[in-house]
Amino acid sequence: MKRHKTFGLAASAAAVALGLGACGGGGEAAAPTTAGYNAGIDAVVRPSDATGGTIVFNNSSVPDSTDPGNTYYANMWNVLRLYGRSLVTYKSVPGNAGNQIVPDLATSLGQVSNNGLTWTYHLKPNIKYEDGSTVTSQDVKYAVERSYAKDVLPNGPGYFSLLLTDPKYPGPYKDKAPDKLGLKSVTTPNSTTIVFHLARPFSDFDYVAALPQTIPVPPDKDRGANYQLHPMSTGPYKFQSYQLDKQFTLVKNPNWSAATDPNRKQLANKFVFNLNVNADTIDNNLIHNFADVDMAGTGVQAAARADILSSPSLKKNADNAFSGFLWLTYINSKVKPLDNVHCRRAVEYAADKVAYQTAYGGPVAGGAIASTVLTPNLVGFQKFDLYSATTKPHGDVTKAKQELTVCGQSNGFSTNMAFRSDRPKEKATATAQQQALSRVGIKVTLQGYPSGKYYTNFAGVPNYVHQHDLGLAIGGWAPDWPDGYGMLYYLTAGPAIQAAGNTNIGELDSPVVNNLFTKAMATTDISARNQIWSQIDREVMSQAVILPGVYAKSLLYRSPRLTNVFVHSYYAMYNYSILGKKATGS
Amino acid sequence: MAAPLDVSPAEVSAAPEAALAGAGPVEGRSLGQIAWERLRRDKVAMTGGAIVVFLVLVAVIGPHLTQSPNAFHQELIDPTFSRPTGPLGGISAAHPLGVEPVNGRDVLSRIVNGAQYSLLIAFLATFLAVAIGVFFGVIAGYFGGWLDAVIARTMDVFLAFPLLVFALALVGVIPEQAFGLSGNSLRIALLIFIIGFFNWPYMGRIIRGQTLSLREREFVDAARSLGAGSGYVLFRELLPNLVAPIIVYSTLLVPTNILFEAALSYLGVGLYPPTPTWGGMLSDAVTNQYFQIDPAFMMVPGLAIFITVMAFNLFGDGLRDALDPRTR
Repeated sequence: MKRHKTFGLAASAAAVALGLGACGGGGEAAAPTTAGYNAGIDAVVRPSDATGGTIVFNNSSVPDSTDPGNTYYANMWNVLRLYGRSLVTYKSVPGNAGNQIVPDLATSLGQVSNNGLTWTYHLKPNIKYEDGSTVTSQDVKYAVERSYAKDVLPNGPGYFSLLLTDPKYPGPYKDKAPDKLGLKSVTTPNSTTIVFHLARPFSDFDYVAALPQTIPVPPDKDRGANYQLHPMSTGPYKFQSYQLDKQFTLVKNPNWSAATDPNRKQLANKFVFNLNVNADTIDNNLIHNFADVDMAGTGVQAAARADILSSPSLKKNADNAFSGFLWLTYINSKVKPLDNVHCRRAVEYAADKVAYQTAYGGPVAGGAIASTVLTPNLVGFQKFDLYSATTKPHGDVTKAKQELTVCGQSNGFSTNMAFRSDRPKEKATATAQQQALSRVGIKVTLQGYPSGKYYTNFAGVPNYVHQHDLGLAIGGWAPDWPDGYGMLYYLTAGPAIQAAGNTNIGELDSPVVNNLFTKAMATTDISARNQIWSQIDREVMSQAVILPGVYAKSLLYRSPRLTNVFVHSYYAMYNYSILGKKATGS
Repeated sequence: MAAPLDVSPAEVSAAPEAALAGAGPVEGRSLGQIAWERLRRDKVAMTGGAIVVFLVLVAVIGPHLTQSPNAFHQELIDPTFSRPTGPLGGISAAHPLGVEPVNGRDVLSRIVNGAQYSLLIAFLATFLAVAIGVFFGVIAGYFGGWLDAVIARTMDVFLAFPLLVFALALVGVIPEQAFGLSGNSLRIALLIFIIGFFNWPYMGRIIRGQTLSLREREFVDAARSLGAGSGYVLFRELLPNLVAPIIVYSTLLVPTNILFEAALSYLGVGLYPPTPTWGGMLSDAVTNQYFQIDPAFMMVPGLAIFITVMAFNLFGDGLRDALDPRTR
């Protein structure tokens, strides 16, 4: 459901970049370097301060919105950094360090009060909009208020109304206060200070402050849903034009100051975003240098993948990066006989993980075999493997049979598996696991549902799941921010179980797990908190409510015409905020 | 494709004599015998007919002769691309038509087993659509007036009905068991019903149009003036003249219905995986973009559907010619 994707992994051993510092801010006039396969994962490829040129993006669809307050797509959040600055943001560096939150508009990360209930940010002085007016903390507050107006701006995440006091605030468009700043849970003691008042401690609040919804919006420029046609820029680029469904262009913003902003660069003259381009055409455009970036950042299509991997001259321009998703199968803890943990463990052992990987496209296009719910470079990830997923990747039939015996179902049992019938990869996974589980006598009937209603009407409705014996359900998850909370909470916390649109489909309501979440949210010490995420991961895996399938990967094509290219681990695609264009003719 | 109504006035006036001559008791041959004689001489139609018979045989006997359609052969799959190793989708002695991408299931065996389900569903659904369509089309065209108005508007409603939305709603409510059926047999019955029930207006409209023009013809007037009742006119005078359009449009409905099943399984109301169907194989190839990396996998079900359509069309054409020699 959370369509926002985060995560990329820097673990690829093949990653080699020649002679450059990892930091994107390097000032040396670097000569163009040749970079190889996966070079963009651990290092910045072709670091350069050369200016000029136009960078062309292609997108196979259209953005949900270019309004910072109305979008939930990772690629749009990545693009937004070109023209919007939030309170804090993700560091523009390759590798795991990209998960680190650093100050952006604010002078430092949030200062939390002793009781954990108030978070304070101070703005850097004299940050300007594109028209030269000064950014104030009231504008940031107004932007946060806009996230409450789901009737006008339906797409963005809803964390502020979830976490702050005053959750009934109707949004600025229905605000009775004359200055439209009636949200009581956010206060602005002066024009450079903003204070958030939380209903309960939430130690991950800096990740929330990094959402595009804290990019300031001047109230007098707000045009509701149409604000997306020209959002007021605080970043290095500003809107020049926007033809809906067709194209938008960004040009340099003269009022942006590089001195206050280490995470962005203003190198190219112009960014052009062409929309609704056929996905295969995009790949051809990239390979033949008619375009520079596939905006969606989800990797090339099957045809281009075959071409790229079989041609060394193309392969050296590709990066096989983690895409942020975990493909998984929920094992329901309420449907008989899977309400017995040993029956659930039997499923974990019996599943064929290689078949899972193959169904999603193999090790390159699909990803790596998973043994945990946390994906490898999420903050707090620790590797462990309770069900020999990596040591016996085709499944451990002996162990599975032992667990079945303990469960009292030594001959196996029957259950149903839900999958999205219009997703061939899920269908292939379902078919493969049906075969794998039949080896130990678990008879699975496959039930396909349309993906549009999968969570709202079928697999995400516990009543439906119970009535139809949906013991297993295929799905996937990508967190909104790169730590254990973003990944684990909606999948495994008891309070996350909902009557419809449920994401804790395993229906785990374990006091141990729930208490660990409460403890983590009150723990402001980052390393202590990160220990807790892995504890939760282990507990969830020992309860066997999730069968991890694949840490998803995608094959990205890195245009040789670009400079300062690297895969950002949080956005799980190339970082757009420091891109430059190689001088033509070279 | 010219139906009797399209002939020129000269031929119309010749029609009774021609009918008399054809039915002349020289050797006492029946109309059916004459038609069969004509059909037998039509090589193209006989080839089409032979292919149809062959397909039916494949569907009935084939599944007993082939290997399991659901056995995985992942050792034949190149893990990097999820596509079969070897030429043309992994063709080998053990797998004459290659194997599926991803799982490596035998394509020949899935085509043969799929024929059973696809043809069964397509034929029965076509039969249902034709039966309903002809019944209401003839009634509407022959009686006219308010009855025609009601039926014609009903057909409009059916044609405008958002079938896919209906199918989406259906996913949630179809039971596991009903009418003493469960599992795949229930789904098959359901598919036949949905496809047949929503396709009849196409047939109905054509038949209604044909009936409208036929009922004004002299032979119908003649029958009426001799005191024939509505039943006699409908079954003895009109229906035989409608056989040609019915056959031709039925042969065109069959492939549509094969693909219809694929669309419905895409929405989750099709047969339970791993049951093979032609439409399902085709939609797998298209939606997962296998056609780009393994075109052979799309060709096989595509060709199967193409050959079926072709055979039915050729046979249907010949049959119509045989039944109605004036259109040759």
